[in-house]
Amino acid sequence: MKKIGILIISLIAALGNISAQGTKSLVINEVLVNNKANFQDDYGLHHAWIELFNTSFAIVDVRNCYLTCDKRVLDKSLSAPERAAMMYPIPKGDVLTQMPPRQHLLFWADSYPKRGNFHLNFSLDTVGPNWVALYDANAITLIDSVTIPANLPVDCSYALKVDGVKDSGWQIMGDTPTTFVTPSTNNMTLDTNEKIDGFKEKDPHGFAMAIMAMSIVFSGLCVLFVAFRLISAIGKKIAQRNAMRHHGIEDVKEAKEKNVGTESAEIYAAISMALHEFQSDVHDVENTILTINKTKRNYSPWSSKIYNMRSMPK
Amino acid sequence: MEEQGFFAFMANNLADFWEYTGFAHATAEHLIMILIGFFFLYLAIRRNFEPLLLVPIGFGILIGNIPFPTDAGLEIGIYEEGSVLNTLYQGVRTGWYPPLVFLGIGAMTDFSALISNPKLMLVGAAAQFGIFGAYMVTLALGFEPAQAASISIIGGADGPTAIFLTSKLAPNLLGAIAVSAYSYMALVPVIQPPIMRLLTTKKERLIRMKPARVVSQTEKIMFPIIGLLLTCFLVPSALPLLGMLFFGNLLKESGVTRRLAETARGPLTDTIIILLGVTVGASTQASEFLTTSTVFIFFVGFCAFCIATASGVLFVKFFNLFLRKGNKINPLIGNAGVSAVPMSARISQNLGLEYDPTNYLLMHAMGPNVAGVIGSAVAAGVLLGFLV
Repeated sequence: MKKIGILIISLIAALGNISAQGTKSLVINEVLVNNKANFQDDYGLHHAWIELFNTSFAIVDVRNCYLTCDKRVLDKSLSAPERAAMMYPIPKGDVLTQMPPRQHLLFWADSYPKRGNFHLNFSLDTVGPNWVALYDANAITLIDSVTIPANLPVDCSYALKVDGVKDSGWQIMGDTPTTFVTPSTNNMTLDTNEKIDGFKEKDPHGFAMAIMAMSIVFSGLCVLFVAFRLISAIGKKIAQRNAMRHHGIEDVKEAKEKNVGTESAEIYAAISMALHEFQSDVHDVENTILTINKTKRNYSPWSSKIYNMRSMPK
Repeated sequence: MEEQGFFAFMANNLADFWEYTGFAHATAEHLIMILIGFFFLYLAIRRNFEPLLLVPIGFGILIGNIPFPTDAGLEIGIYEEGSVLNTLYQGVRTGWYPPLVFLGIGAMTDFSALISNPKLMLVGAAAQFGIFGAYMVTLALGFEPAQAASISIIGGADGPTAIFLTSKLAPNLLGAIAVSAYSYMALVPVIQPPIMRLLTTKKERLIRMKPARVVSQTEKIMFPIIGLLLTCFLVPSALPLLGMLFFGNLLKESGVTRRLAETARGPLTDTIIILLGVTVGASTQASEFLTTSTVFIFFVGFCAFCIATASGVLFVKFFNLFLRKGNKINPLIGNAGVSAVPMSARISQNLGLEYDPTNYLLMHAMGPNVAGVIGSAVAAGVLLGFLV
């Protein structure tokens, strides 16, 4: 019972971890601080905005997570409720908080939370640097944070070069003709498949693919071959040992001479077949004929009265 | 006047009805496809070529090629969102039927022949050259790499794997590739023997192989577990297929989940095969199917089968150069490296018996045959990994 209890607790812990992994795949993807003539909210107004991106291939719900620009929440001495009081809790009960795989969600940093679930209770400083953070539902676990440099040009955003890829680095978007502010859409448009283009360019005849893929297939089955060669050797040894014990033989050489434990599977197949045949042949319903004609009963010792027990043995 | 109006009303309605009938929309392409459906049914019913696959596919071709007004919003066509056929087709399009078929294959396959003679795994690997040889042929015909990969997987002789890979890489070719894969699988008894005869000598065909040893239940239980871990760590993209294959096999071999194993190999597989066959057949609507691409796909499919068979047989001959006299492998089991289970193994057996009526190759051929199933799933995973 104790073991089952431990197992259930481990499972619950693992499940908890799974749900945490869902929100862990969220990143802050793009932030626009000084919005004069850029993207408008539902009220037709220009405000700062923060874009989140779901890096996973699963739906992630951001409800109950927290967004903040208040650095005091980094103080580890604060309790969870104290931290929560300094942050904007993303409300539950709105289907739009469910982020589809590899999609974006935009929040307006306008200090008007009553305008809707996606309007935050804080705004961003258009002059100084801004620190923006996303916290998990426990108000303690930091999911992602970014520091936006001061004096960002008007209507320019600060964004990850490649959506959701933090290693790709941050850059200012919209300040040159080749970079664009991209609210609720990809920062970098992928209109080609690099892998396929690479194969088309470097391997037009398919030789490289054939060599690489065949090598991998061979390696995979070679690994299996080696593993089962070992298992097979161990299996043979165990079978021989058991057979020797059964036959009362202790000398390995003698066992080898007598082929103990190395019987072919064909012998077992033949025995199994014979047993199957025998069992299939057993039938409890005999062929009988129902007739109204007078039948002639042949003599049988089984029905002969002279053999029954009523006659006294001499 | 009233009577005239009444008849005009009836005539108008009958004319409208005529517009909804198949006769009003029938084209030569529809009739050709219906004839192809008849041919499949003929092969299955009269010639007994893979009837469990060809009857559903053949009838599916008839279902998919009944003409109807596509702009009327009747929601009956397989490509119309929300139609019954479209709903059933989701299993093919999103690729969840093939792993369930693999679950059934795992639950009905005995891997003993492979476990007792693990070197036969390499024969299964060699036959996968059919896939990559065909990949080169397909590229030469001008197809894109993703399309070429989907078409060449026909060489694995594994319908579910072909459908799984095509649904990910080239969904627009799904109907033609699936029909081609299953057609050639049914034609294995016609395609393989001449190649096997051509590439072997009489002496080689008479090679008697060492009888398989007895495989313990522990080894049988360890096989799916170790097999899953080793192959899927190497090619995780093959996880849906290999995961279900090995899981099905564990259900069979564990000895404690008999009911689950019986369901997996019986009613569940039958249900999925019915749905898979009918919807794949129905997906061959004339407008989608009768194209030059389809002709190329059938041509490449044939090449792939020939290359796979030849590479399996030639690999055994090459392998024999390194084996001791008593351990030689009969090259007639090389063809079984393609994963058409158990048809290609049966061909090895029949051809072996033709040359020596006491040389039974079936169980030996089952080794490369089931290794071919694993090999083609790994090959599909490799192609997915490279091209997605």
